[in-house]
Amino acid sequence: MTATFSSAAEFREVMDRTFAMMSADPVVGPQLRSADTPQRFEFPDLQMVVNIRSGGEGEDNLTWEWTDEVPWEAKVRLTMSSETANRYFQGKENMATAIARRGIKASGDVSATLTIIPLTKPVFARYRQMIAADYPHLEV
Amino acid sequence: MTGDQAAAAVGVTPGTLRRWVRERLIPQYRGEWSTPALSQARLVARLRERGHTLAEIRRAGEDGRLAFSHVADLFGVEEPVYTVADATRETGLDPQLVERIKLSLGLRDSRGLTKEELELLRYVAAVLDAGLPLEALLQLTRVYSQAVSQIADAEVRLVHLYVHEPLMRSGSSAAEMADELVELTGDLLPLASPMLDQLHRRMLGHFIEQDIVGHMEAELQSSAEAGRMRVAIAFADLAGYTRLTEEAGELHALDVVERFTEAVVATLPEDARMVKTIGDGVMIVGSDPAALAVWAVGFQRLHTDRPRPRIAVHYGYALYRDADYYGREVNIAARVAARAAGGEVLVTRPIVEASGSELEFERIAEVRLKGFKGPTEIFLARPRGERPPEVVS
Repeated sequence: MTATFSSAAEFREVMDRTFAMMSADPVVGPQLRSADTPQRFEFPDLQMVVNIRSGGEGEDNLTWEWTDEVPWEAKVRLTMSSETANRYFQGKENMATAIARRGIKASGDVSATLTIIPLTKPVFARYRQMIAADYPHLEV
Repeated sequence: MTGDQAAAAVGVTPGTLRRWVRERLIPQYRGEWSTPALSQARLVARLRERGHTLAEIRRAGEDGRLAFSHVADLFGVEEPVYTVADATRETGLDPQLVERIKLSLGLRDSRGLTKEELELLRYVAAVLDAGLPLEALLQLTRVYSQAVSQIADAEVRLVHLYVHEPLMRSGSSAAEMADELVELTGDLLPLASPMLDQLHRRMLGHFIEQDIVGHMEAELQSSAEAGRMRVAIAFADLAGYTRLTEEAGELHALDVVERFTEAVVATLPEDARMVKTIGDGVMIVGSDPAALAVWAVGFQRLHTDRPRPRIAVHYGYALYRDADYYGREVNIAARVAARAAGGEVLVTRPIVEASGSELEFERIAEVRLKGFKGPTEIFLARPRGERPPEVVS
């Protein structure tokens, strides 16, 4: 089952809300902060890039910018379609399987992804709630 | 309880029990044989059986090494008061069956059954009445017993390592340690059952869903014997783990294994689960052979740190018994895994035939696996169109 974002703006809105959700989550946020793994996500179908890193002192747990012009170096680079990202956050896309099928391309310190994957899982349920409530066309 | 009764319950003579009291080995004894005093006496008896002298036991009590024994008071000590004949009458189960169920539940007191154990047998009888076949029930009770004993063992060991030992190192008195441990256990104990109950319900929901999906997608296994099921089996371990242990130390190596098993669990496809860990390796079983092979290849692309995993995936009929999988096909999977190098995914012919076009398989050998008469074809799996992976021998 596929679900397509209606526009790049909608995708960015959903991802912004998702990153904010992860950053503010009392369990996930601090864990992602201490994992300290700057990541770069590229979504070629929408020609978008987001760089995300742990927040510094006085900042939220996560900081992200929709550009490559950032003053930090990504440790892990992941390339996937916006559709795959949506499926992933709904818990419907297995990272290892997607990599074998070339649905996700990974480079850099790929092993660091193995630390991040379990940390993000707790937000899947909240992501699904958000999608059901505000973006039902994206349900998979 | 009189002194004679207490001695009988502990399994020593009344004179021995009186001597232990005189030697201050049972400080809980205050003129009567209360449950705490009886627990301590049992502990002393066990330690004596293991060859410890009275002086050693007294010293251990004084410096707090036996402080955990006070926690046992929270559980009480029930004496067996029912015979197998009583249980038969109460539950409607025949005597032989009562004995079999007792064994499968790990109830080994030949003197009889306690009130709680009889209650347990009533539950079992109710489960049989509800229609679960006996063979399935016996396996289930064995699994419950093994799983719960593993949980209890972990609870005790972890409190020992992370609470009791630090208290001993901090120089707390024996009484302070006993108080601390009793209070902690008293706080934790009521939480354990609801936590286990919730987890159990969640897991049950997950596995029921998997079973439904499995029934929908699996071919009809009409030819399979009862208790056999066709499953995808994977073995994965870390190449060069022994050397890592030697070079980097046990704690670092253990940390690496923990991260590896966590990564396996976190990335497995929905239909697959880790059945067990075996040293630095894991055994995985799933219902979808293609999905497990794809996972294995993807996992190798993710786990690029050394030591690299080596993985084998096979597909065949395995005997399901006591929550584990046995038989020829399981042995084949294990033997093939032993032939893989770090970074490799090796698979057998049944996996190649069950897989779609997502992976590419290179036939690299036809070998006689150790202990098998016939040859087994071995294939190297990788994503379609990708160069062979970097291999660590």
